[in-house]
Amino acid sequence: MTWTCDLIEARLSDYLEGLLQGPERAEFEAHAKSCADCAPLVASVRSLVGEMHSMEELETPPRLVYSILDKTLGPRETVTGWQGFLNVIRGLAAPKFAYGAASVMATLIIVVSASGFSLRKAKLADLRPAALYQRADRGVHTVRARCVKYVSDLRVVYEIQSRLRQDENNLQTAPQDLLPKPSPEKNPGQTDDRKPSQPRQQNRANEVTLQMEMLAAELPMLSERSGR
Amino acid sequence: MRRHTRRIFNICYRFTGNRTEAEDLSQDVFLRVYRTLGSYRSAHGGFATWATSVTRNLLIDHYRRTKRDRITDSLDDKMPIVENKESAGRRPDEQALLGELSMQVQSALTRLSPELREAVILRDLQQLEYAEIQTVLAVPEGTVKSRINRGRIELARILQQMGVRPA
Repeated sequence: MTWTCDLIEARLSDYLEGLLQGPERAEFEAHAKSCADCAPLVASVRSLVGEMHSMEELETPPRLVYSILDKTLGPRETVTGWQGFLNVIRGLAAPKFAYGAASVMATLIIVVSASGFSLRKAKLADLRPAALYQRADRGVHTVRARCVKYVSDLRVVYEIQSRLRQDENNLQTAPQDLLPKPSPEKNPGQTDDRKPSQPRQQNRANEVTLQMEMLAAELPMLSERSGR
Repeated sequence: MRRHTRRIFNICYRFTGNRTEAEDLSQDVFLRVYRTLGSYRSAHGGFATWATSVTRNLLIDHYRRTKRDRITDSLDDKMPIVENKESAGRRPDEQALLGELSMQVQSALTRLSPELREAVILRDLQQLEYAEIQTVLAVPEGTVKSRINRGRIELARILQQMGVRPA
């Protein structure tokens, strides 16, 4: 193949991009070096391509993205006046906002009641920080005292219960001979055919007489007076 | 979104050489993409390639609409003036963004014919593959290669005429 200047020009990009191989590449380079017209052309195009490859991309203008969004999705609505006010009110009536407001109110009520502020007899002076602190302090101590009393009451109750339980256990585990036993020989409605030697009333009268006699022996003064 | 915006804005800027026009055209590209999203088929290449096709078509439409201005520019181009008018009228922040040589290359790009300009931009600035460029331009691969080659040579000659020689 005869490499003319026109052919060199036509295959210049192929050469620069490495698409010419072997003898083609050698013949191209041989002509490009020897030709006074082609040599500067090859050099300038080579450096131009290198320069273009190293050119950095420009940054996008910041407003461009928003302009594109406005143009494609439409401009953002800017409502003013009464319509805007009504939109704000509608926004406040949204469930999410209502839940948030309810939780804030509940928190406020808890905090205010914990601080001891009375809503029924509200006074401006009650809102002083010192008064709030005193009421909160008093409330804390009252709650603590109630807790202590409750715990001590519980302790007493548990102690009584545990003692009762202990007694029941002792009764169950006690030996049989300590317990009163019914007489096996005696049954209700039956007699053992044994007769007491003396009646019970007589025994008691004898005991009283004996005691009186002993008393008279020890205290003769009483016996004299009884003699009169 | 931001990645595509940046890429499309850069293609528009390289093609027009004007920041304001590039911003307006980028908005138009996205509007057209948004409206014709139903016609996008993945078989015709990725979304980026399809969006690049839309950009290219819109740039060509824009070029044809403003052809009268281009004729005036081409008359200016024929004058053997080394001074670069676009560079002189460029905003300082743009000058800070672009290096001196990059500015000259950008200026020379706007003097290329639209067919060669779009091919060079897609290949050497966006660094697309030949197959992708073939899809975007809807021309055979041989034509793509030929346009890129002629565009590079033409660009080098324009820079030479401007008194600029890439190092």
